[in-house]
Amino acid sequence: MGNASFIAVAFEVVLLTGALVTILVGVVAGRNRSVWGPLVGMFFLLSAVAGLWQWLEVQADGGGLYFSTQNLPIMRSPMVVMDGFSSFAAVILGLVGFVAFLGSWDLQVRLGKRAVEFSSLMLLGVAGLHMMAATPNLVVVFIGLETASIAFYVLAGFTRTVHGSDEAALKYFLLGSLASAMFLYGVALTFAATGSLSLYGENSILNFLSSHIVSQPGILLAGMSLMLVGLMFKISAAPFHQWAPDVYQGAPNAALGLLVAGVKIAGFAAIARIFVEGMASQIDTWAPIVAVIATISMIVGVVMALVQDDIKRLLAYSGVSHAGYILTAIVAGSGGYSAMWFYLATYAFMVVGAFTVVSMVSGPGSSATSIDSLKGLGKRNPEAAWLMAVLMLGMAGIPFFTGFVGKVLAFTSAANADYVWLVVIGVVTTVIGLAYYLRVILTMFSSDEGVELATLDVSMSARFAVIIGATVTVVFGVVPWPLLDVVRNALPL
Amino acid sequence: MDGLEVTASWYLILAAALFAIGVAGVVVRRNALVMFMSIELMLNSVNLTFVAVSKDLGLIEGQVASLFVMVVAAAEVTVGLAIIVAVFRKRSSANVDELAELKG
Repeated sequence: MGNASFIAVAFEVVLLTGALVTILVGVVAGRNRSVWGPLVGMFFLLSAVAGLWQWLEVQADGGGLYFSTQNLPIMRSPMVVMDGFSSFAAVILGLVGFVAFLGSWDLQVRLGKRAVEFSSLMLLGVAGLHMMAATPNLVVVFIGLETASIAFYVLAGFTRTVHGSDEAALKYFLLGSLASAMFLYGVALTFAATGSLSLYGENSILNFLSSHIVSQPGILLAGMSLMLVGLMFKISAAPFHQWAPDVYQGAPNAALGLLVAGVKIAGFAAIARIFVEGMASQIDTWAPIVAVIATISMIVGVVMALVQDDIKRLLAYSGVSHAGYILTAIVAGSGGYSAMWFYLATYAFMVVGAFTVVSMVSGPGSSATSIDSLKGLGKRNPEAAWLMAVLMLGMAGIPFFTGFVGKVLAFTSAANADYVWLVVIGVVTTVIGLAYYLRVILTMFSSDEGVELATLDVSMSARFAVIIGATVTVVFGVVPWPLLDVVRNALPL
Repeated sequence: MDGLEVTASWYLILAAALFAIGVAGVVVRRNALVMFMSIELMLNSVNLTFVAVSKDLGLIEGQVASLFVMVVAAAEVTVGLAIIVAVFRKRSSANVDELAELKG
């Protein structure tokens, strides 16, 4: 009965198995990190392999909808979709999870026995993130969102006894749950207006909207707006970004890579799936709202990043502006998919690398991370300083780095959709944004006269994470074509 | 009692009112526990919406959705209360205004 398929959920199966196995092995091995550490890394890599398997399957057979049956009325609409979109998200999330795990290794060494739980929550969180990208059902999107969010609230508060980590966890939890509840009420109102929770299939929202006149357009509009607000909270787009700087500042430095990169990937995947695909006929309603949010994000992100003294708050506001740039691709509708994926895939690695450098310099736990703490890094550890410089130039969008290619793609798709004013704002804010990225680079290569600087020793795993981030930034900045060919095929069903 | 038929829209209006009360609670109240209770109220208003619409349209999906929401809410309570307890133990207060270590 039905069309259940193992391959469609292979990514989640690998990660959830990994989370359980890690906990069990942790009970036996305890503090012996050399046992379960490689295991967690292996599960992340295996999940990326599972994503690759899905990708090859989709490219060969075209993917499909799974886990539905006509026999049971509650299972009429499919629960899992496997397409280029979800399998590309799987590959990227698996790899980002792996690199973030490498970057967080120093923190796990310090956490001792509790580190098993930390790794396990990372695996669980990534599984939840992918559920958001790989389901046609709005309630399952919510469950994936909460699976990831609840795991990440705990990660943000993991070093709760020191400097603001508990405060970060509480703020993240209260505002995150508020956003989740708003998203869910949006789902319920959309259900009330259209009688459907499904984005694909015969009784999908799209089919209802094209064959019926909505009797309560106000309810549909409220539902769409609330879903949009909930997801904008998660990707920290302005004006829903206030939690981000505080949470980033208080959370453990080494945990942030996954928190930031993962949620952005899944959040944008969900926005694209729900609005660009599921609400395609309503694009004239939501696209202008998204364009306004993109504008506010770009301006607020850039202006506020200029005045920050804390490197993590700076990266938080830079994340707000990047959310704005990626939203310019969303505004373009289905024409912006390849731009969105290129930007997300490369930004994720940059951000994980940047937070790993922060944790190298200021320690992996929660600690004060003023920009001045980077002073003299060029002498203390030239390798880390140069790699960080590459990552900063990548985020700034200098030619021959991935950030530039991503921005060109996003702005081109927005211009094609007649949002030229949005492109103008994007270009202007990009130029202003150069200032704070260059400030970080200049700080790293300056040092006070006569101050003796101790060399900064860094662990192999953290070094590896930053090298991967910088390599992705340079390689796909100089030769973007291989990745461009891939993202062109990362399309929804 | 003629002419006073309780239709689905009554439930929807009640749910909307509960949701609004929840939002107001999160915005106005400063105690982390009360803010958290307000969020739970919002989730329950969503459940009411799901069930009422489900009954009205004759679709079972909404009722199933409300069960899932309850499970997720329970999971959220577990983590949320743990976080609030951790904050309270360290600071002997659950007032969010006193959490100002992180500027913003």
